[in-house]
Amino acid sequence: MPVLSLIILTPLVGALLIAVLPSKEADLIRRTALAFALLAWVFSLLLLAAFAFGPAGFQFTEAIDWIPTFGIQYKVGVDGLSVLMVVLTTTLTWISILASFKPINDRVKGYMISFLVLEVGMIGVFVALDLFLFYIFWEIVLVPMYLIIGIWGGANRLYATMKFVLYTLVGSLLMLVAILATAYAYQTAHTGSWVGAFDYGALAAWAAGGHFANELQILAFLALFLAFAIKVPMFPFHTWLPDAHTEAPTAGSVILAGVLLKLGAYGLIRFAVPLFPFAAHTFAWPIIVLSVVAIVYGAIVSIVQTDLKRLVAYSSVSHMGFVTLGIFTFSAASYQGAVLQMISHGLITGGLFLLVGVIYERTHDRTIARMGGVAAVMPIYATVFGFFILASAGLPGLSGFVGEFLVFVGSFGMAPAIAVASIIVMVLAATYLLWMFQRLAFGELSEFFRGLGGHLTDIDRTELTTLAPLAFLIVVLGLFPSLVLDLLRAPTQVFLAAVGVAR
Amino acid sequence: MNWSDLGTIAPVVAAVLVAAAILIVDMVLPGRRNAILVTALGGLGVVAVVLLAQAGHSAEAFGGAYSLDNLTVFLDLLFVAIAVLTLLFAVDYLEPRGLPIAEFAAVLVFAITGAMLISGSKDLLLLFVALELMVLPGYMLVGFARRDSYSTEGAIKYFLLGSFSSAILLFGLAYVWGITGTTRVDGVAAAVAKVVAGGPLSPGLALGLAFMTAGVAFKMAAVPFHYWTPDAYQGSPTPVTAYLSVGPKVGAFAIVLRLFAEALGPLKADWLPVVIVLAAATMTLGNLVAITQDNVKRMLAYSSIAHTGYILVGLAAYAGGQQSGLSAILFYGAAYTFMNMGAFAIVTALQRRPGVSSQISTFAGLGRRDPWLGVLMTIFLLSLTGIPPLAGFWAKAYVILAAVQAGGWLTALAVLAMVNAAAAAFYYLRVVTYMYMRDPIGDAEPNSPGMLFQVGLAVTCVATLIFGLFPAIVTAAASAANALHV
Repeated sequence: MPVLSLIILTPLVGALLIAVLPSKEADLIRRTALAFALLAWVFSLLLLAAFAFGPAGFQFTEAIDWIPTFGIQYKVGVDGLSVLMVVLTTTLTWISILASFKPINDRVKGYMISFLVLEVGMIGVFVALDLFLFYIFWEIVLVPMYLIIGIWGGANRLYATMKFVLYTLVGSLLMLVAILATAYAYQTAHTGSWVGAFDYGALAAWAAGGHFANELQILAFLALFLAFAIKVPMFPFHTWLPDAHTEAPTAGSVILAGVLLKLGAYGLIRFAVPLFPFAAHTFAWPIIVLSVVAIVYGAIVSIVQTDLKRLVAYSSVSHMGFVTLGIFTFSAASYQGAVLQMISHGLITGGLFLLVGVIYERTHDRTIARMGGVAAVMPIYATVFGFFILASAGLPGLSGFVGEFLVFVGSFGMAPAIAVASIIVMVLAATYLLWMFQRLAFGELSEFFRGLGGHLTDIDRTELTTLAPLAFLIVVLGLFPSLVLDLLRAPTQVFLAAVGVAR
Repeated sequence: MNWSDLGTIAPVVAAVLVAAAILIVDMVLPGRRNAILVTALGGLGVVAVVLLAQAGHSAEAFGGAYSLDNLTVFLDLLFVAIAVLTLLFAVDYLEPRGLPIAEFAAVLVFAITGAMLISGSKDLLLLFVALELMVLPGYMLVGFARRDSYSTEGAIKYFLLGSFSSAILLFGLAYVWGITGTTRVDGVAAAVAKVVAGGPLSPGLALGLAFMTAGVAFKMAAVPFHYWTPDAYQGSPTPVTAYLSVGPKVGAFAIVLRLFAEALGPLKADWLPVVIVLAAATMTLGNLVAITQDNVKRMLAYSSIAHTGYILVGLAAYAGGQQSGLSAILFYGAAYTFMNMGAFAIVTALQRRPGVSSQISTFAGLGRRDPWLGVLMTIFLLSLTGIPPLAGFWAKAYVILAAVQAGGWLTALAVLAMVNAAAAAFYYLRVVTYMYMRDPIGDAEPNSPGMLFQVGLAVTCVATLIFGLFPAIVTAAASAANALHV
């Protein structure tokens, strides 16, 4: 059974169905969207259940010739890494859709269609095994997010969404040139036959043989790196992120942080590094330095933020720095740490944005200075918030700790100074997170909150439903990281073998 | 001339007959709009059928001056499609303004006849006459709203610069004729091939090449020969602008294929640097100026200059040794035709009520006011930006692929083209921003275009959506390019 196509098509069918529903039936549209997102989620869980942990290589592959003139195929498949990303995507999507039920009342139809199309693109990126197909899904992600931020976003949304689009497009269009150049290099080397020129398996095997010329590797890697680094986002390409996060609606922020940033990291792991190992080694040190700068800079800037969402956004820059650091230190532990960090950042930051959304829903404000004493009136909310804050700060036993710790261990062997510098940041993280939480939750009820009176109701059941699965997964992955690490064993070996070539 | 010649040029003859029939019907049944439309659309349908029947065949007429091959069929079908779409979109615009439909249709079909003749020209003189046959009706169309001073101004500018550039082109052709002693495309190719083998270009040939390049650059609106475009585009009745942005442009590229690729192909190493510079300047300047426009028609005019630049990248790739550059040009022309006409159609729809401007503020809140027009415009603009899986993306991808294959300087040109494409997103998406993210100004009345208009929108939209997804069109473009003797 073509499971992957099924997972890709489910949200698409949902979007088409919603397109023909009358706009007035907002509730029906909401439920339909949720139903299809849940269906895609169930399919992805079935995929996870059926996935064989042991063997390397891709499973559930499907391949259909698409544009034979250039050997372009509709080819999809998953390894342990993609499976995890697909499940993360489907999970966060239904949570985001559920979290949008109450806040989004304007043009619900367009909103839900955008979200489901967004899911199609995101899943597609994680399962595509043809570079051209990958690029198409990559760009498909862009449009719905542009609309979600631009239509349903905050006051400064037009600036934020245009910035988001332009940053992403500059990177991705250069990536297109690089993809075409790579495919052409492969085609030239294969007596002018386009067969396999866009096929990931064929290209990876060709790269493993060390056949791509060093000049091509350098240029193509730089183009791909730029596209992915903007998406991650790495310092100094991160400036679109705080704006986009601040202006996006809550669910948009959740997906942006939870999945969209992972697209960049996934691209680095799947394409940029294994296809161009020589270039990856050449640029490893500068990238490691940039990663550490991102980790430190993100943390320091977070401390001084006055807006809840902006604080979480900058903390993302810091947390994602661990991911890129883990990828480019080329060791088993750091690789697995990076992937674990991707997942746990998706869960934790997704949760934090949901929680910021909860308070924003009630107060229409996110200024930290105006808050205070929430614990007194919203005890459950404060408790849940506290849990996610601790998870984000890297409390042992929760998933955030495992990822960062593994990256630390993995990078220590290569660069002790770098590793130590990055681990010190965990102290900074605790500082800005706990300080923010303290200002929000403890002390006397602030003037501003008192003025709101009865509006400040505790977290409701729907909101808890969106947060509970995330909290559950954070605990499970924190206590039993082997659940993920087992899946990653084969991909780790493949990745390290691909990187080892150039050594 | 014999009967088989007549059979070969049957599509062109049919087009002339359609134009004549429109005028006769208008004379016999004055003011009967439907009769005219049936004649025009039905006639163009017949022309299309005649063309389709010729697909795959190859024949020459008049001693090799005209050739009906896959390239001719591909381009002619495109021209017929352009005429049909222009007509479908024009009715809703012309009627409320009291402009005559019959004359519009007849002039339009004559213009298309010229374009169809270009695509099959294998003789420099025929090429020139065909070009004039295409552009002369164009001047009339630009000035069609004769009581509108902007329309007249645009027509005069277009006419003056157009005639000037035709003269320059003719001058260049004369040089080539003088040096090679023939006007036949194949003969010229053979003669210049000898020149290339014999060493550097003679001054005469270089001069001829320069004049021809300048003349054709005028026609395709390449920088720095683009100055007529914005005024002609903005002043024209909007359906005419839609036509101008694709018809004469594809026609100009038909000349490029016959003249530069086929006749002057042996000299491609000499004109390659010029094309690279033209392409780089055209897309960059077109985009930069488009960013600053507040009038959507004018913005689309400048953006069409930018697209000329992207297409020129395909020509440069061909000159750089990649045959695939030619099919990329053809694919781009076809994809651009549908998405750009679609975008202009939406502008036309908004301007159904006389007096509505094409300022960007007209689009404010369109997504809420008129969801269908909003969605369609978004699709066209995203396609023009080059977002997959829409037609415009594939067009860019094939051009870039050809350029990357050619390598060297052309890779740099490809990178420049992509940076430009990213910049273009700014002004295309600005319209989307207005449509969905701003509130309408004043109370615009609901807008329901006529049935013909909706058919036209459906065609352009479906083409924009599926164009690249079906490899058959790529194959058709490739086989059309293969028909060239290069």
